[in-house]
Amino acid sequence: MRHGSRFSDAISACAITRLCSLAVAAVLALPLAQSASAADLKAIAILTPEAATDFGWNQQGVEAARKAAAKAGVEALVAENLGYGDVRPVLRELVEDGAGLLIAHASGYNTAAPEIGAELGVPVAITDLPQARVPGKVADYTPTGHEGAYLAGRLAAKLTRTGTLGIVTSGEPPGWNAQSAAFAEGARAEKPGIVIRYAVIGPAAYSDAAGARRVTETVIAAGADIIFGQGNGSSFGMLAAVEATPAVDGGKVWFIDVIGDKTPIDKGHLLSSVIWNLEPVFSAIIADVKAGTYGEKNYGIALKDGSVGLLKTPHIPDDTWGQIEAIRQQIIDGAIVLKPVFDAAGVHALVTTTTTTP
Amino acid sequence: MTDLLTPAFATALLAGAITAGVPLLLAGLGEQMSQKAGVLNIGLEGMMLAGAYAAFVAAHGAGPWAGFAAGMLAGMAVAAVMAVMSVRFGLNQIVTGIALLLGVEGVTAILHHLKFATTYPRLSPVASWPLPGLAELPVAGPALFDRPAIVYGAIALVAAMAWIYRRTYFGLALQAAGERPSALDAAGGDVVRTRAAAVLAAGACAGLGGAFMSVVAAGIFVPFMTNGAGFIAIVLAMLARGRPLMVLCGALLFGACLSAATALQVAGVDAPVDIVQMLPFAAVLLVLALFGQGGALPAALGEAWRRGDPLGK
Repeated sequence: MRHGSRFSDAISACAITRLCSLAVAAVLALPLAQSASAADLKAIAILTPEAATDFGWNQQGVEAARKAAAKAGVEALVAENLGYGDVRPVLRELVEDGAGLLIAHASGYNTAAPEIGAELGVPVAITDLPQARVPGKVADYTPTGHEGAYLAGRLAAKLTRTGTLGIVTSGEPPGWNAQSAAFAEGARAEKPGIVIRYAVIGPAAYSDAAGARRVTETVIAAGADIIFGQGNGSSFGMLAAVEATPAVDGGKVWFIDVIGDKTPIDKGHLLSSVIWNLEPVFSAIIADVKAGTYGEKNYGIALKDGSVGLLKTPHIPDDTWGQIEAIRQQIIDGAIVLKPVFDAAGVHALVTTTTTTP
Repeated sequence: MTDLLTPAFATALLAGAITAGVPLLLAGLGEQMSQKAGVLNIGLEGMMLAGAYAAFVAAHGAGPWAGFAAGMLAGMAVAAVMAVMSVRFGLNQIVTGIALLLGVEGVTAILHHLKFATTYPRLSPVASWPLPGLAELPVAGPALFDRPAIVYGAIALVAAMAWIYRRTYFGLALQAAGERPSALDAAGGDVVRTRAAAVLAAGACAGLGGAFMSVVAAGIFVPFMTNGAGFIAIVLAMLARGRPLMVLCGALLFGACLSAATALQVAGVDAPVDIVQMLPFAAVLLVLALFGQGGALPAALGEAWRRGDPLGK
């Protein structure tokens, strides 16, 4: 039902979650299928809050789940565009459909997914909550592209004209905090006196495109000519802002995205992107479920295995890119050691110490 | 901090406050009319979202004014369902509103998925209407007096609503429909028609608010982009206790506080973001609680009306 075309994906997911969520009581009354045991895993399921066509978190998650499932020879059930409300009915239905592993691809599902997983005896993967790991039942993947974000910070510091960089995020989940902090660290490593302007659109403004544009325009007015944006759907508002707003020096504002590659819709402002590849993460999760070792560790991504990378666009001069590649190799070799900063207070401490004019 | 005190930064903050406040103002005025007539319009967010999507589609093809018109019509279309279900058939207003919101969220997400999910087109900025003599003022000029016409229209709507409530028979009928609908019925008024008209007007206003979000404020549509603005507008309308001017004050205050929250972060004030971002909500609650106590919510708010109701409402 949820593994056909994009159309059927959208229809099924949205219809079930939005139009039919009023029938929760009816769903609750349905007989629940016995979950498959770990050894005979036949299908995995991934749930995403927004459509898997966002050139970002949701698209990356769904594509990675499909690839990992194909590699493991199991079926991938996709429920996308679910929003940030109660997904318990969808979780139950996915288990009924045969899912032996639930990948709850939004931190907003971190309460419902383990609850339903425990109820139905199905292992659950959640995100951005490493401390919630329960052997055999729950594991966390908190993909931090902090190594890639560090490279992005080095790149931005090399290319800024105004000496001011902006970080705009639509929330402060641990993975994004790590990237914000690493971006600031990278920029400061390149230019110690660089100014960094940091703003959060809202507590969970993942789809607030209008708010994203407003905040990004403010950060640009504060002097930033390169915006490091983390936002899911709201990142399109950031992109609209950099396209419509000149920098304080009258020149172009550049945008550095995260997770996905927005090159197909770029109008000449996409400088780079911290690209994530979650396929190795989901493959490792599936392997651990099959091996009966699930929940014994959490999962992440890194430069060395290619699950994190920095996008090379035509807007990056070749000599600059060569320098970035050299720094990348230093990270892989261990010459540069980066520790992720997951808490928001750590990010604030980093960015507030850089607000002096260079 | 002092290096931030530039005209460009101050203008961006002030302009941001207006941009954030206008959708709340439009939707709040609509909700206020609906509440005056006794209909608690929980589906306001859905009407905004429908307006945002329809406006984006129309503006993408035929320009912003077509977008605004489409947004109003889309909001009214959703409101028409609300009117039939809650006013005509007397179904529970809260349940109907929630159902409409969920349905519109799903429908707009699907439509966006089918039409724009691989292209994410962005709209050109909407042309502004500079007010002679004012638009040239430093900071306030470009932020307040060099804005798209819809911004001035939203402000003018406040006066229009106040005039309707105080000076017209329809305004009186609205109040009767919300306070004592049986009295309106006894006086020869049509309660169902009055309430339905109020709900449709609310839909038009909310749809226009959503249109502003997608066409002016964001220049793009993404699913769920109203992000709770409809619920904030409902709160503003309730706290304003029937006075359009208080909706204006609340919406602008909310927008100003959003801008202030952004300014504090950009300035590097080391405070928890959650605390900083409580500022708009806390400020609006405080101000409206202090200055908006002159009235009460309509007695029959949220209650279905049927002729012969033994409670006399």
